Amino acid sequence: MEQHTVRRSAFRWPGLVAFLIIVALIAAFSWLLLDTILKWSLERTLGTLNGAEVNIERVDHQWVPLTIEVSGVQMTDPLQPDFNRVAIGELRGELNWEQLLLGRFHFEQVVSTGIRVHTPRESTGEVYQLPSKEQMGGWLGEGMERIQLSMPSVDEVMERVDLRTPTAVAEAKESFGEQKERVQDVLSKLPSKETIAAYETEVKQLTESEIETPAQLRDKQQQFAELKEKFAEDRQAIEEFKEVVGGAVDELKTQMEKVKAAPKRDLDRVRELMQLNSDGLSEITAVLFGDQARRWADYMLLAYEQLAPMLKRSADETAVQPPRGEGIWFSFTGSDAPPDFLIKKARTEFAIGPTVLDVNWENITHQHEQLGQPTTFRARGENNALWSSLQLNGEMALTATGFDARQEWRVQGVNLVRTKLSERSELAATILSALLDSEGNVALRDSQFDGNATLRLADMVIEASAENQWAAVIAQALESLQRLDINADIKGALMDPDFSLSSDLDRQLGQALQAAAMDAAEGELTQLRQRLTSEADGFVGDYQDDLSELTNLLGDAENREARLQEMLEMKLQNQLEDKVKDKLKGILGNN
Amino acid sequence: MLTLLARLLRALNSESGAWALAIAFVLGMIMGFTPLWRVHNLVILLIALLFRVNLSGFILSFVICSGLAFLLDPLFHQVGFAILSAEGWQPVWQAMYDSAFWRVVQFHHTITLGSLVISLAFAPILAIVSFWLVSQYRRRIQTWFNKLRIVQALKANRFWAIYSNLRG
Repeated sequence: MEQHTVRRSAFRWPGLVAFLIIVALIAAFSWLLLDTILKWSLERTLGTLNGAEVNIERVDHQWVPLTIEVSGVQMTDPLQPDFNRVAIGELRGELNWEQLLLGRFHFEQVVSTGIRVHTPRESTGEVYQLPSKEQMGGWLGEGMERIQLSMPSVDEVMERVDLRTPTAVAEAKESFGEQKERVQDVLSKLPSKETIAAYETEVKQLTESEIETPAQLRDKQQQFAELKEKFAEDRQAIEEFKEVVGGAVDELKTQMEKVKAAPKRDLDRVRELMQLNSDGLSEITAVLFGDQARRWADYMLLAYEQLAPMLKRSADETAVQPPRGEGIWFSFTGSDAPPDFLIKKARTEFAIGPTVLDVNWENITHQHEQLGQPTTFRARGENNALWSSLQLNGEMALTATGFDARQEWRVQGVNLVRTKLSERSELAATILSALLDSEGNVALRDSQFDGNATLRLADMVIEASAENQWAAVIAQALESLQRLDINADIKGALMDPDFSLSSDLDRQLGQALQAAAMDAAEGELTQLRQRLTSEADGFVGDYQDDLSELTNLLGDAENREARLQEMLEMKLQNQLEDKVKDKLKGILGNN
Repeated sequence: MLTLLARLLRALNSESGAWALAIAFVLGMIMGFTPLWRVHNLVILLIALLFRVNLSGFILSFVICSGLAFLLDPLFHQVGFAILSAEGWQPVWQAMYDSAFWRVVQFHHTITLGSLVISLAFAPILAIVSFWLVSQYRRRIQTWFNKLRIVQALKANRFWAIYSNLRG
């Protein structure tokens, strides 16, 4: 039997139908789920760029013109996962079809409204890339604990200080003892009053006795000469005594003066040592105004702190796509090719309290060198509820060496109402009302900030309360402030800027705190003064009599010396000779 | 899965061409190794459905190779990375990058390019080996296999019922 085999066609036409059905199903699913797919993709990509969880409430699309609308974007702050770095109410952008087919995301116009920074999250956001410890322990947040106010007690100071009063008293007592011994030694050699009186009697007898003969005269002269030798010896003893006692009196007077002066010197020294230990006091402006200044800086540096890191990461393929398991998307963009991502124009509305600030952007991209132009931004706002005038201009570009950018701002007449400076229990301070003017500029070169700003607060009314005495002094000083000029220096890396705030407040508060510290210690100092004075006065009282006695002794000695001197200077021979002559004249005359 | 195996066994025992089975294995391998949501996979699917390629072999090959791909992804990435980084090829890649068609193909993704290149390089080998195995099975093993006691026993269970139904 002949077999007939029919060669089947190589094509399976029903398969083509099946293929078309499959493609149609895929297209239908993509169409229906496009918004969800876009939402997931955006959350994932933005989350990677942000380094922390990003939530999007809703995504809508429109084909002609190709438009994407995103609502309720919350970008977790990796440093504070309980807060959003930025929250965006609505975002709408038109995509260029032609560029999209070439894999480029070129938005002609993007409008973003309801942008707020540092808003609390409903739940803690997941952090994908932990910030470094340096970033977490930044320049703020430590607050009042940085100001360590403490003053040593009087007892503590007494342990450290070498009190002069007891030493002076002890030295004076020792000196008194030594001088007394020396005086006692020479006192025994001092001719007594009786001796002096006996001398005088003998001299009187010699001068007043009758001399009959020259032989008697010679005897008298002999006796007087012997007496004069004694006078000389005694006078020598008196001079020696006077020298010792005089020295003792001078020494003791000096010691006494030292003892009298010692309490005052000790008190001055104690006061000196009782200076307020005020570590961190010079940072009081940063501590009190730091948090709030940081909030203001968040707005002022928004372009850098929010957008720059995301653009930087978007330029880093390895950061966007982890290599393992997911692969890497290579970019072969030529140096003159259009950037992969570009927002030509954008208008962003920042919600600041009840006011909205419009910021106009141009050329947002991470490939500025390809574009040949920097990203520019400009904000203007006048006569609204929060400020009377605001001008902010800036530009930035991502280059091979990092970020280059500059920004200037001037804001006047900002109405601050119930602005909390510190909510800590130890010191709570709120600006009830104030007018703020600020101007400044900041440049970013190779991802390093360099800039300065001034913040002038006028017509300030501050409400402050405190727990301890030192904080109370700060609170009191704050409440008395009406105007304050703060200087801010901005340095450091892009993601870790270092703000240093300084003002005259530091000096004012330092003086107030020091005065308060001394007032607080005055009670104890008074007790110390009384104790030292009492010690010194006691010594003076006890030894004043001894000093007087020595002074009297010195007077006596001088008196005795004078009497001896008088006797020494007597011309006995002449007197006796005169007497003998008179006698002889009488005898001869009678004859 | 049992149905799929049964269909494959039926195809092996049928008059389907050995090349049809071998090509099905190759197409399934390419689709399994490369990331699923790529344009070239639509082309492979179109080939598999439009031409008389054995669909059971295609699907089975796709399932097995998709599982293997998870293990081989690092290798695909390394190969793709090396190719895309090759200095001499940069002008080609740049030209392709500027083309909408090639951008849609997503050639610039390391795993996509690496897995496609490895799959295509392995495709002739797999095709020849598959053809030889199918031929050898039909020539030597099929009769002997059917006479095995265990096969006889299996014919009594559910698997055989499915197989028979397919036949019927």
